[in-house]
This record gives sequence, C-alpha cells and structure tokens, in this order.
Amino acid sequence: MSWAPRIRSALLFVAIAGLPSSANGQERTDREIVRQLGAAGSQYGCVICHKDKRRAFAEGAHANRGIVCHDCHGGDPEAVEKEPGHAAPFIGVPTKLETVRICGDCHSDPNQMRPFGLPADQGAELRTSRHGELLFYRDDQNAPTCTDCHDSHTIRPPEDARSDVHPLNIMGTCVACHDDEEMMAGYELPTGQGEVYRASAHGIGLYEHFNFAAPTCISCHGSHSALPASTTQVADVCSQCHALVGQAFYAGPHGPATRAGQMPGCLACHSNHGTELVPVEAIEAVCSGCHEDAESDAAAMGTDIQTLLMRAEGNIHSAEEAIHELGAAGRETDDARFRQRAALTDFHRMGPAQHSLDVQALEDLGRRVSSVSANIRNQAEVAAEQRWEHTLLLAPTWFLALAAIFLAYLRLRQTKREA
Amino acid sequence: MPDSNNGDREPTGWFSRIKQDVISSTDARLLGFLRFLGLLYGPIARRLPIDQAFKRALQYRLPAHVGWGHALGGITYLLFIFMVITGVLLSFYYRPSVQEAYPSIQYIVSRIPFGWMLRDVHVWSASLLIVAGVAHLLRVFFSGAYKPPRETNWVIGLLLILTFVAFGATGYLLPWDQWAYWTTAEVVSTVEGFPLVGGFVASMIKGDEFISGATLSRFFALHVIILPWVSLGLLILHFALVRTHGVAPPAEPSSPGEGIPFWPNHLVRTFSIGVLLLAAVISLAALFPRPVGEPADPYVVPDALVSTWVVVDVSLALIRYLGTWGLVLFSLLAVILFFLPLFDRKPETDWRKRPIATSLAALYLVGFLLAWAAGARLESVPPSAALRPEVEERALPPEAGAETGSAEGDEAAETPGEAEPVDSVPAEAEPDEAEPEPGSEGL
Repeated sequence: MSWAPRIRSALLFVAIAGLPSSANGQERTDREIVRQLGAAGSQYGCVICHKDKRRAFAEGAHANRGIVCHDCHGGDPEAVEKEPGHAAPFIGVPTKLETVRICGDCHSDPNQMRPFGLPADQGAELRTSRHGELLFYRDDQNAPTCTDCHDSHTIRPPEDARSDVHPLNIMGTCVACHDDEEMMAGYELPTGQGEVYRASAHGIGLYEHFNFAAPTCISCHGSHSALPASTTQVADVCSQCHALVGQAFYAGPHGPATRAGQMPGCLACHSNHGTELVPVEAIEAVCSGCHEDAESDAAAMGTDIQTLLMRAEGNIHSAEEAIHELGAAGRETDDARFRQRAALTDFHRMGPAQHSLDVQALEDLGRRVSSVSANIRNQAEVAAEQRWEHTLLLAPTWFLALAAIFLAYLRLRQTKREA
Repeated sequence: MPDSNNGDREPTGWFSRIKQDVISSTDARLLGFLRFLGLLYGPIARRLPIDQAFKRALQYRLPAHVGWGHALGGITYLLFIFMVITGVLLSFYYRPSVQEAYPSIQYIVSRIPFGWMLRDVHVWSASLLIVAGVAHLLRVFFSGAYKPPRETNWVIGLLLILTFVAFGATGYLLPWDQWAYWTTAEVVSTVEGFPLVGGFVASMIKGDEFISGATLSRFFALHVIILPWVSLGLLILHFALVRTHGVAPPAEPSSPGEGIPFWPNHLVRTFSIGVLLLAAVISLAALFPRPVGEPADPYVVPDALVSTWVVVDVSLALIRYLGTWGLVLFSLLAVILFFLPLFDRKPETDWRKRPIATSLAALYLVGFLLAWAAGARLESVPPSAALRPEVEERALPPEAGAETGSAEGDEAAETPGEAEPVDSVPAEAEPDEAEPEPGSEGL
C-alpha cells in the first residue's frame, strides 16, 4: 500500500472517531456517517460492519495516534463488502502470540515509544515472566497476552481510572484469572489472594485511604515480567518501599539467615498478601512460632522487644492524654505537642529498629520516648494540681461568706428585738 | 446650706474636715444615679445634704409583703454586676481576632493571677443570670405584677432578658474554640431556616459566608459596646419605673401596716443573698471550670460538644428534637407572653383565676425546663457534622473490578475480550442528598 491512501484512511478514521459516538448524545447515526463518507467519494470499509469496535477503539489511547484497524488486523479498508475487505493480507482475530507480535511491532521499538515516555522492553519482560513462559514455550492458551490485561480495542493508559491496569483496578484484572480455582489448579496455584490483599495494610491504604503509593499486585510481582518472588528475594522486594526496615533486617541475624534460605524473610512474621501488621502485644507469640523453646535467648529477646515497644506505646498514649488535659485546662500546648511529635518520631523509629533485633538500640529510643512523655505528663500533673489548689480558695470564701451572713442575721435579730 | 448641718463642734482632724466639707457641700442630686441603678430606695428631695439624703433613703419603708421572693430581681441584677466587673477585667487581656482570641483565653486562664476565676465566674454568672432572670419573670407573672400600670415595665423586663440572651449568644463565640465555633454555627444555621427573615438575619449575624473573623468582630462589638449601652438604658428605665409605680400590691390585700424599713431589713437580706451568691459562683467556678476546647477550625467538626450556657442547652434541644419549627414555635410562645399585658388588662392578680395566662406561662416554663434538661445531656456532634461522613462512608470500589467488568461484559459483548468498556466510576451519593435536614437526627 502506498503512503497516500494510508494517510487518507488515517485522517478519515480520526475524523470518524472524533465524531460524537455515545448512543444518547449522538446526533447522527453511524449509518448516516458512513453514507456521508460514501457520498464524499471516500470510505473506510471496516467500520461499516464493525461499528461497535470503532466505538470501543475511539475511547482508547490509540485512537489519536494515527493507528487504524488494518494496521493490526490487515485486510483492505477501502473495500465495502466483507469478502474483498477480508482479502489477504488479512489477520482477523489475532492469536495470543500474534497479538504479542502485533503490539511489539510498535511497543518494542524505542524510537516509536520515546515520544510517549514508554519503555520498549515489555515484550522482552513478558518473555521472561511465568506468563510468557507458558505462552511462548508451552503454547498455553490460558496464559494472558497483551489484550487480556489491556483490553483489545479500548486500550487506556494506566493513569486513566477507567483502565483495567489502573492501581484501583489492577487487582481485579489479575484475579479475573487467579481467582479461577479450576484454572489455577492446573498450575498448583492457590486462589483468594485478592480478598486477602484487599483486607491487608496495603489494600486498606489503597482502597480506603486512596493512597496510590500503596503497592498493588504488580508492585511486588512485576507487571509484564510477572513472577512470584523467591523466598530469598522477599525481603528485597519489601525493602524497595520499606527501606529502613530492610536495612535493619539485614543488619540483624534474620537477614543473613534469609539470604541463606533458612527462613522466608519478611514472611516469617508477616504474610505475603495479607501483610499483617503484628500488634505490639503479639510480638512474643510471633517469635515463639519459630523459637519454640521459651527458655531460649531468642524467645527472651522477643519478650524484651515486646515489653519495650508496649512501654513506648503506652508512653505515647500517656503523652497524648496529658496534652489533651493541658489543653482543657487552658494551657498552651504547642511546646508539648512539638515534643510529643519528637517522641512519636522516636517511637516510629522503633518500628524499623526492632527488625535488627538490637535491643540496646530499642532501649535507647524507648528511653527518649519515656523521657518526653514523662515531661509532658509532669506538666499536666502540675496543671491538675494547680486546678485542685483553686478549690482551696473555697475555704476562706465560704468562711467569709458565712461569717458575713451570720453577722447579718445577728443584725436582723437585733432589729426585731428593738422593734 | 443651713448652718445646723455644720454641727456644733468644728472638726479637728484633716480627714474629718474633708468629710464634713463633702457632706455639707454635696446635695442629693448626686444620688440620682444610684437611685436609677436601683441601689437606693425612696423619693429624696434634691436639695438635701447628702448625709441626710442617705438617711432618708435608708429609712424608706417597703410594703410589708416584700419578702425573699422579691429578691430574685436583685439577684439577677447582682449577677449582671458580676458579669460587668469580670467582663471588664477580661477585656483587659482578651484580643478579638481569629489569630489571637484563643491564645488570649489560654493566657487569661493560665498566666493571669486569678484569671481562671474571672473567666469561670463570668461563665457561671451568665448561666445563673438567665435562670435568675426567668425566675424573676415567673414571680412577676404569677403574682400579676405585670398588670397595669406596670405593663411597660414588664415589656422592659422582657427586653432586658432578651438583651442578656444576646449578651450570652455573642459572648459564647468569643473563646473561639471548637465548641464555641460549632455551637454558634449550628444556632446560626438554625436561624437561617427561620421563615421569611431567617436568611437575612443569619447573614447579618455572620457578616460572611460562614462563621469567620468577621463574625467574631461583630460579636465582640455587640458584646462589649452595643449591648452594654442597651442594657444600661433598659436597666435605668426598669428601676425608674419600679420607683415610679412602687412594688406591686399582693393578690390578697394584707392588713395595712407600716411596712418594713429598707435599712436594715431589706438591705441586710440583699447583702446576705449577694454574699451567698458570690460564694456560690466562686465555688462553681472552682469546682466546675469550663474546659478550653481545641482551637476553632472550620474544616474539622468536633466529635463532641460541651455546652456551658443554659440558652445553648435549650436551643440545641429544641433544634435537635423538634427542628427549626420547634424553636420558632417556642419563640412564638415567648412573643405571646411578651405581649400578654396588652390583652390581659383585668385587675385580677391571683394566678389561679387567670387560667389562660397561667397555662401559657406553665407551658413555657415546662418547655424551658424540659429543653434545658434534654439539651444538657446532648454532648453530641451537631447535624452539620453530617458533612464529614461522606468521606467515612464513601463506598469502596467495586469488588475486584474484573468481576463487575466481566459480568457486564458477558452480557454486552459477543466476546469477553471485545466488550465495550464500562465507565465504572463508583456512583457516590450527592453530598446535598446525603446531608440530613438539620434537626432530623434526633427525630
């Protein structure tokens, strides 16, 4: 095909795509548009029959990029009947592998992707993934291809909230297959990760607090290179976000043990999709899950860490209450609040620090929290004491008042006697 | 001046000489102001020397039926005096701006010697003032003391009560803490719902689209400049009319007698009540101080309100349980009582023989007490807090987007992969729809 008709076709398609398309607000039907195009001596044959695809495609990111039907599906777009339109080179509905190739024609070309800031290695990543392994090397038709996650015609960018790969929707896209027990049984994979994730700290952060920094499925498993992290890699994956925790973890005895494959890294205490935050009061119990001998040094260390953290947590709450009491007593609380924030920072530092199992460091941080809390508590107690001292004023007040009333009574009695 | 006033002996000491000069050269006209303010009784000839005028005022005899019940007006007045004294002292330190109001309250409470007492005596007096004022009103009502020729004084008394309420309402916002802010916001938004004039009145009160620094400024100006002058004028009129018409006669005429002398009987009684009242107010201030809430924040609705003023308790209860119309009807009842003397002009003063008037007053009294009791228990978030749950109750995104997508896709498309996209923007309730009508919460 020469360039001229291709450009003409592209312009026509864009013109059609740009016309109003919603069923409700549509002023002219598709048939009228096609009739008009025919009257003008031009036509784009595909949309005569596949108008639903045209509508879907027009909403996607590719509609404004000069891409038209026959770029992916082949055929003759100038034909107005099915048979000549579907003449060779005609692909029709591409297979999964053909889809990867068709998409890759553009998406693996750095020169074409550069203007849009898109990587050109998705195809290569897909090839290294578990999905790619099944698709490329085992011809497994359950394995997803590009269009299974990105839709075939309405391809929207990930930042579009309507996209299947938007952070809020990506989990739904993944579990469309991964919740299918029958399908997953063939790969000996469990199901239900989606529900567990939704209830996890990450899921709550994403769905309840709309925190888009919260990780989704692809944050840990990769998107095109989807593969579960191995046991020895879990801590590395988690520490991409939890950097301080990861640093402390590898500084302690558990880090080397994880690298040696002797323990499942973070998963020893937190689950993978559930990502439960271990409550402070449950630390000892979690430790004893592995360190079963209650008399062992490791179990004692767990007890120590729990005690230190519980004490620090209590001190933080105590400081908060004291600030509230100070405020209610009309005291300025700015300084106390500032100090309490500093204590809170130290308390939050205890979180990562506990992963190093450095009890000494925890004790130091705990002491700082305790010191600030005691200071604020002391201020509140002084205020409460002063408030109590106010009540002492009642003794002279009532003494004087009653004395005055008694004198008045005497005066009235005297008046009556005189009368 | 008559020579006899100089006394037989010439004073020797310098202080006695000055005192004698003052007595001999000052006449009773100077006592006029004290009489206007109700601090002296009895008619006094103008050209009397001041010591004789004092003696005459003290010897004035009140009617025999004047008893402890007649002290209610004096108690109200005394509480007003407490308010004035503590209010003036508070104004030395209070700064009426959004940035400084709250810190200045903290400064008064925590740094000024006895600042806590000034503030809490002011707060407690404000509540007791209304209680004593309403009690005085009821005493006057049930004893028929509002009947001609005292109907004008009844109206002035009611205007005084309204002025005290206005004092409290404008003063309530001044601490600029969360409770003050949101209680005012709720009451103003209720006023906004009043038929016909509500919107205009509310906008005049606020001076802005919402309760802001503009509102604080006008409340402060009303509280310390306009209302004091209004109340002073009304008080002078009130006392002048009391002097003019005298104390109302009892319903059942008692045996004619000489009455009781102003001094010592009445003055000593008043003094005893005053001392007792002062001790009680100081005790309440020391034992039940008004806590300082969080600083006012128009963007954060507090979890709970602490009301410390009886009018707020009554208003909130009416608003929450009966809605805007409850407050309107209750106010209407007050207006009827206001104009009652214009219609009830029979000389009968026994309350048992005035069933309609007594029923109306009893209805108002019972309503007031019930609303006060109910309002004091509220401690709750105002209906405007319903603005916040739209965040808390926001629907979670649809369960696993693919489930919804695939289900709809199966119905809508020939092949699942080619389904038309579903614009799955979660349908959220319009905030306007989600927000309940003010007052509907408690119904």
